[in-house]
Amino acid sequence: MSTRPSRRQLALGATVVIASLAVVETTVALVAPALAPSEADWAAAAAAVRAGFRPGDLIAAAPTWADPILRQHLGDLIPAEVAARMDDDRFARLWEVGQRGAHAPDAPWGAATVARDERFGRLRLRLLERAAETVSYDFAAHAADARVTRRDATGATVECQPAGERVSCPGAASVLLRRQLVEVDQKLRQALLTEPMSRAVLAIEFPAVPLGRALVIATGLHDTWMRKAARGTVAARLVVGDQTTALPLTTDDSGWTRTRVDTSARAGQIVPVRLEITSDNPYDRFFAFAAEARQ
Amino acid sequence: MRRPGLTPGRLDWLVTAVLALGTVLWLLGVEGRQGIGRDEAQYFRAGERYWGWFSELADNLEHGHPGRSFTASDIDRYWSDNAPDHPVVMKVLYGISWRMFHTCHCMDATRGFHPVAIRERHTTLPLFARESTAFRFPAILFAALLVGMVYRFARGWLPRGPSAVAAVLTLAQPHYFFHAQISCFDAPIAAMAFAVGFGYWKSLRDPRWGIATGVLFGIALGVKHNAWLIPFFLVPHYLWMRRGDLRARRLPRVPLVFVAMLVLAPPIFLAHWPWLWVSPVARTRAYVLRHLEHEHYNFEYLGFNFNQPPTTTKMKWIRATAPFVETGLTVPVTTLALAAIGAGVLARRRRGSAVQPESREAEAPTTELSSGLRASWLRPGADVDRAPGAFVLFQTLGPLTVLAVPSFPIFGGVKHFLAAMPYLALLAGIGLAALGRALAEALPAARARWRPAALAGLAVLVCLPALVETRRSHPDGLGHYNLLAGGFAGGASLGMNRQFWGYSVLPMLPDLDRRVPENRRLFWHDTLSDAISMYKRDGRLSLEVGDTGFGEEGIKRSELGILFYEKHWAKYEAWFWQYYGTTRPVYVRAREGVPMVTLYGRGR
Repeated sequence: MSTRPSRRQLALGATVVIASLAVVETTVALVAPALAPSEADWAAAAAAVRAGFRPGDLIAAAPTWADPILRQHLGDLIPAEVAARMDDDRFARLWEVGQRGAHAPDAPWGAATVARDERFGRLRLRLLERAAETVSYDFAAHAADARVTRRDATGATVECQPAGERVSCPGAASVLLRRQLVEVDQKLRQALLTEPMSRAVLAIEFPAVPLGRALVIATGLHDTWMRKAARGTVAARLVVGDQTTALPLTTDDSGWTRTRVDTSARAGQIVPVRLEITSDNPYDRFFAFAAEARQ
Repeated sequence: MRRPGLTPGRLDWLVTAVLALGTVLWLLGVEGRQGIGRDEAQYFRAGERYWGWFSELADNLEHGHPGRSFTASDIDRYWSDNAPDHPVVMKVLYGISWRMFHTCHCMDATRGFHPVAIRERHTTLPLFARESTAFRFPAILFAALLVGMVYRFARGWLPRGPSAVAAVLTLAQPHYFFHAQISCFDAPIAAMAFAVGFGYWKSLRDPRWGIATGVLFGIALGVKHNAWLIPFFLVPHYLWMRRGDLRARRLPRVPLVFVAMLVLAPPIFLAHWPWLWVSPVARTRAYVLRHLEHEHYNFEYLGFNFNQPPTTTKMKWIRATAPFVETGLTVPVTTLALAAIGAGVLARRRRGSAVQPESREAEAPTTELSSGLRASWLRPGADVDRAPGAFVLFQTLGPLTVLAVPSFPIFGGVKHFLAAMPYLALLAGIGLAALGRALAEALPAARARWRPAALAGLAVLVCLPALVETRRSHPDGLGHYNLLAGGFAGGASLGMNRQFWGYSVLPMLPDLDRRVPENRRLFWHDTLSDAISMYKRDGRLSLEVGDTGFGEEGIKRSELGILFYEKHWAKYEAWFWQYYGTTRPVYVRAREGVPMVTLYGRGR
């Protein structure tokens, strides 16, 4: 006797499956709106954060798409330079306001200690603590210290002069160099923004950087429309004292790329740090970078 | 016992009318909560301006010099609006509907918001309180037409219940529903593509439909350029249906329907669009090139912002999945599951047999059965199986496959391949019919009287999720994703598009209106000034509410500003933080916790 189900049995089974699916889908559609955090949930979670907040704490939403609602409630504790941070490594404490089972990214928070874990309706508030890196020098905050030079194909180097938010180099068009909120990969970052020069190396030097154990630099191309308009790439290398590191090539698709340079051998020393930028086609290339020397 | 006078044919027309009327009532009942996008605002403006030409033509006729309306300058004065972007069938209908059905407040303070001069109060049949509803009415009628056509088409193959379900499932799709109620072209072209497909199908055995389909195709060309693709989905079916000819090493006959489409459609297209008359060749070329070279607007898909053709192999593959994944994550899951069963039914159908045992239409060759009718180019489907599976397959997968080409723009999301959706619903109807048959057979004869109730119950049950999901999605249908994705929140987590072109601000209008005096200097972001004008004409926004213009300068000048959440607008948020001195929005409009629009206030 065959144990295979008949066509009729299969069809009936399919009917049951479809009917069950319809019931589940309808139920979920009716119930789902109530699963979203309410205004009261957000207000209660925000009050709890305020009560325990310390200067230097990071507050973040999980998933990140809830960030505007988080800032609506706690934006006064999230200044632009924090909201547009280079990364999370400098923060020792994170107030994670999560929903739907989402959490802050594993790097660097995966190994953090959960110091608090509370529910506020549909929101879950966790306080994560970890040993953070101390920033000894924030390059974006020291934009005014930067010395800019231009070296052309013959090797001739000229000093460029600051002119407002630009630097003017003899024999070439001026380029931007300013601290601003940039958009790289559709995310905001506090960074220094500049433009590579045609057939020349643009060097931006910070003459006295107190080194820690590492120097972290992140690079990317600013502005969705500029990334759409042009395809040129930007090459950069970082010179820390006499140590040179080639950074990953920056392209339209490379996003916000972090590079960590080990400076532990020179920790405690004050050295010049220079970023050298070139581009095969600098048209509409707005090169953004943020860097920190960290203990 | 059959009621006197209600023949099966009349009953079908009654069901068709009920479905169409239900569609109109549902859409009219909800469209007022649906905001005005950039494109729709332009079509309002263009429709009213085109009406201006007709109005002037009437004046010229009255004064005995109609020729003035046909001079190049007069034509261009009205018809160059939104040209060469789109042909004008729908926009003319929108303009006529507005002129006929709006409640005229045209001489009051909003008089200056019209694109053409208003000289006197309009005499109208004031069906609609809002002018925007009057503009939208023809699009809603086209949705009703599509729902009715799906029922009529399905009835050729299916019993009444599954046919009605197919019609309901056509409308009850959140993304289609979104487009069905606005005065754009995407839902209307889906209706026209179905009309052409329907006509083609009937033309295979009836030459009258061959001629009619040529006319329908001409009208479709006047609705939207998607119509260019229709032949590419019909010809493969025709060749498959007549593959016997190819096997016999002879070319299939060129059928009347294709000849009619080729001969009748171009003059209809040319005749319908006065803007072309001035310089037919050059302007037709400009229109075609406008779309062949259309730029890639920004669109979020699976966390990536696509605004140009992908260049890497990985991104090309991701991009190629877009229409299929978007379909899989936006159409109600029960509908998809039924459609899969329906596809299986068609795939298993034996050549020459009907789609369902109850089908009214035979797919087998009819030449010998019908009184002396011979297969010919007039009835090219008379002597062969009509291959219904291949027909539905090409009409469903065709539009999706075209949009899978990585170099094609995807900025419209599902709207670019809406033409597939009625066929998907048709497949769902076929699937339901198969399940219904199994259910009926499973009930023992002693309980036969329960069969109609069981079938009706199953039909209602499979429509429920689609109806509930569609209701849930409104008025943010573009941000809604299905059970597989996890709704609004799931779509956001997957990095799927939530909205485009600034329509989702409408629920915030009362709040914006109250924020006096800051709203005198309001940055509207992606909301077009034509949309703002229409909100004011509709009485939904005070006339004093300002508009500081677009871009960074607009934010600098403003006191209050909105930001639509789309990936590519991130730098606008940076400008708010910079110029307003805060990262803290004063309000976030969200759906199920997912931000749609953010409102910032200077110094708050």
